[in-house]
Amino acid sequence: MSNSHLFMSAGWVTAPLNNGIGRYSGQLQRVVIKFCKTHGCSRGVREFVESNLIDFSRQNPGVAVYVKPRRHRAPTITAEYCNGERGYMHVSNMSRDEVYKWLSHQTTQSGREFCRYRKFWRTETPSIQGVWSPHTFRDPRLNLAEFPMVSTAPKDWFRFC
Amino acid sequence: MSALQRVTQWQTFARTWHLFDARWQNPFECSSLIAKHLQGRHKPIYHPLNDCGDMVVAINTRHIALASDEWIKRVYFHHTGYPGGATWTLAWELHDKDPTMILKKAVYSAIKNNLQRRTTMQRLFLYPDDKIPDDILANITNQIRSPRPVPTPLPDPASEEFQSFPRIAPFPEDYVLK
Amino acid sequence: MVFTSAVQLAKRAGLDQYWKKRRIFRLSAHYYGRARNCYVLAIRAVHRSLAFATKARKFKKEDMAQLWETRIAAGSEQHGVKYPHLREGLHRCNIHLNRKTLADLAIWEPYTFRALTQIAWTKMRQDGDREVKEMDGIPPNNVVVPSSKN
Repeated sequence: MSNSHLFMSAGWVTAPLNNGIGRYSGQLQRVVIKFCKTHGCSRGVREFVESNLIDFSRQNPGVAVYVKPRRHRAPTITAEYCNGERGYMHVSNMSRDEVYKWLSHQTTQSGREFCRYRKFWRTETPSIQGVWSPHTFRDPRLNLAEFPMVSTAPKDWFRFC
Repeated sequence: MSALQRVTQWQTFARTWHLFDARWQNPFECSSLIAKHLQGRHKPIYHPLNDCGDMVVAINTRHIALASDEWIKRVYFHHTGYPGGATWTLAWELHDKDPTMILKKAVYSAIKNNLQRRTTMQRLFLYPDDKIPDDILANITNQIRSPRPVPTPLPDPASEEFQSFPRIAPFPEDYVLK
Repeated sequence: MVFTSAVQLAKRAGLDQYWKKRRIFRLSAHYYGRARNCYVLAIRAVHRSLAFATKARKFKKEDMAQLWETRIAAGSEQHGVKYPHLREGLHRCNIHLNRKTLADLAIWEPYTFRALTQIAWTKMRQDGDREVKEMDGIPPNNVVVPSSKN
């Protein structure tokens, strides 16, 4: 059992600016791939850069990709989003496919902070016919009635109880 | 929240003032009915934590009807807290002292004991007869149907209606009318 | 587990103890007072709360069902139909909606819910239910329900 949700912020499933209704724009703006040219734990990232990076960049023209080699440090991927948030992940000892998988995963994110969902369903228009209110099924004749009504008044004037 | 959503919420949670005529009603039967309206259990939006209870104005509490010999058999217990401070009051005695008290206590016991109980009771107004203050009467927009039909009293024996009522059988000849 | 020396055994024991406590402290992280950080108190509080959580899984379902029933009863009594009659009438018309859906309809789509109450009411009256017949109400003139085969 995990209680990690206790300190998370709470929210609902949302898309920034109704993204995807009508048109979709990728929220990922920039990716910085840092790795070492010699170290073993960067091998998967090096292979990814050699064989997949050009394809990835062509498929995602909206994403600026920076590649930053650095000596003897663990490889990481930093993804920056429209809303100013950034995702940072270690990709040490990952294979080429795994790096590709996680990068594609970052591409699909909105950059919003992870939150605990209050509900799994949410809509802006919960009601088509109008929400129930005390006046929904009120008999309009009651507007002119004088209280207290005598018991000879029609039965359907009274609330059914 | 848009202006429309805000107004929709006001409308949904609008409080209604109900009138209840307690004449010839058994207070222990209609207490659950009144409690239901006080708590808002008659609304589909009911939730124990949301404040959707309505106001109820009960009139004619002096004219309630207790079943069989409950006026002399039902006993209300009170303890002042001091030694020997226990008192037992019969229903008819209590009704003499305060004609609204029997219905009030009945409604109070119909509501489950929790922190909301006293607040819920504050939404109940009780009047011994049909005289309601004008400021309260102005709020009333609905009336709760009384569960029991109000019996029609016998007419005055001297009235024409009584005299002209068809007689089933004639009195015997030796019967002496008072 | 093989320990080549007593020193290693002692080290290992300390580590185990650390992780064991950490597992409990993770669950007591949001408690108030010493139950958060003192292990002896924390483990009692965590066991207590886990026992409550186990029971609450059942109670939550029951409480929700009860709330839905209250809401449906409130919605249908406004239209002159009692809760058991509504459920029975809908069941006989092969309208198998659960309590959650009915309660949602009563709040969010009140006119659909009124139509359902009218269907149930008409069906029960058509089947000659004694209680429904005795209830006074205005029969809806635009509701047709299938007649029972049996």
